[in-house]
Amino acid sequence: MVKVRGISLTACATLCFTLATPALAQGDLSVGRKMLVEDNPGELWIDQGKEIFYQKRGPKNVSLEQCDFGLGPGKLEGAAARLPRYFADTDRVEDLETRLLTCMTRLQGFDRDALIKTAISAPASRGSDIEAMALYITSRSNGMKVNVALNHQKEYDMYKAGEYIFFRRSGQTDFGCVQCHGEPDKRIRLQDLVHMTSKAGAQEVASTWPAYRGAHYVVRTMQWRLNDCVWQMRFPDLKYATDYSIALTTYLNRQGNDAVIQVPGFKR
Amino acid sequence: MKTTGIKWSVFAVAGLAVAGCATYPDEATTRQMAEKMVFEAFSASPAHMKRLEQDRSQQICSKIGDAKLTQAEAAEVVRLARESIKYPASGKLVGDWKVGDKLAHDGAGDRIRNGKTEKRKENGGLCQNCHALAPGEINVGNVGTSLTGYGKQRGNSEAIVKYTYEKIYNAWAVFPCSNMPRLGATGHLTPEQITHMVAYLLDPQSPINK
Repeated sequence: MVKVRGISLTACATLCFTLATPALAQGDLSVGRKMLVEDNPGELWIDQGKEIFYQKRGPKNVSLEQCDFGLGPGKLEGAAARLPRYFADTDRVEDLETRLLTCMTRLQGFDRDALIKTAISAPASRGSDIEAMALYITSRSNGMKVNVALNHQKEYDMYKAGEYIFFRRSGQTDFGCVQCHGEPDKRIRLQDLVHMTSKAGAQEVASTWPAYRGAHYVVRTMQWRLNDCVWQMRFPDLKYATDYSIALTTYLNRQGNDAVIQVPGFKR
Repeated sequence: MKTTGIKWSVFAVAGLAVAGCATYPDEATTRQMAEKMVFEAFSASPAHMKRLEQDRSQQICSKIGDAKLTQAEAAEVVRLARESIKYPASGKLVGDWKVGDKLAHDGAGDRIRNGKTEKRKENGGLCQNCHALAPGEINVGNVGTSLTGYGKQRGNSEAIVKYTYEKIYNAWAVFPCSNMPRLGATGHLTPEQITHMVAYLLDPQSPINK
């Protein structure tokens, strides 16, 4: 397993350097990216996530089979496609990663703070348990359509708060999300920016995370993505699994409804 | 017919009651909830938390969706921006284009990781992230307009120098609520740094005008 990954990573590293070569036209870049999507090293994390999910773990020595992601305990097929959503047992809207935290804490007895500390892994590491499980669970919605419904009042609230935050400017860069993600065909240096105020852009967001991040050699999640955005915006450290990121994810995923999920995505 | 109508309305009312009339919160409620989320979401010192507080202009410039600025709002943003502009102690608005060149290609500075601010002598100018610069440069963004040949097209009269300095210091003095950060006004760059960027844009020797 490790050996296989080693080989894939070397192949990826070679391709990534090819991508970084200047003087490539837009078209050439997309060809390179396509090649990587077809042989996505992130696939290796799916099995790892599955293994961790069904293993008896934590102080209570149980698996996560009784975890309810919204369709009933242990029902993973299509569950991620409907997240974030309201959960009565926590009386809160949760995204996939927050729900994993809830189950790992309540069912398995893990310490929440300790889980959060290791939730986002170091680059070129074997990845965190949450990253691997988030990918495995989302992969069980592969081929299905994103379908974030607003039924409970707290779902409506989350959606609207996410929209508000998307457009909220602050800090020394005067940035909200929309400053970089509000227009088509934009780039920061050579990096393409997703046009999230368009249906197609929101669908790309809603259907491609968790994703293999070439530059980091690990699978990354939506919580990581938002964390890295606010870092560039010069905001302070975004805490893991807060309403702020759940609101943004609710807003974006809902806008991205009907996209066909295909994970792991591949990001530069 | 009439009875059927009444029956249906009874059903409709009952249905709404069951659903608890869940719906989109109004603007004021949304703001209240979202602002609370913002201030609970970050772990930071009080000084760093200030980066999440909005000044009056940022509040005005956070229009949701396609909502447009009113004329009065635009005028207020421009007025606040004009009032914010400070000039270097020397009074000289044109610095060293070579220093400006370096600054324009520096996208770092003042980012926070694990509670610590990047250790650097000064912040980068961030220009390259969004603007095309010298001819032939590939690794440039396009969120902002191209600056290639900026000085060649405009000359370097006193009026252009002043306009350019003020545009970098506070872009909203010219285009209220544009995407460009108010680099001087928010404290990201010092007045002296901005004079170097003015030189980089206007000096005929600068690569941007070659």
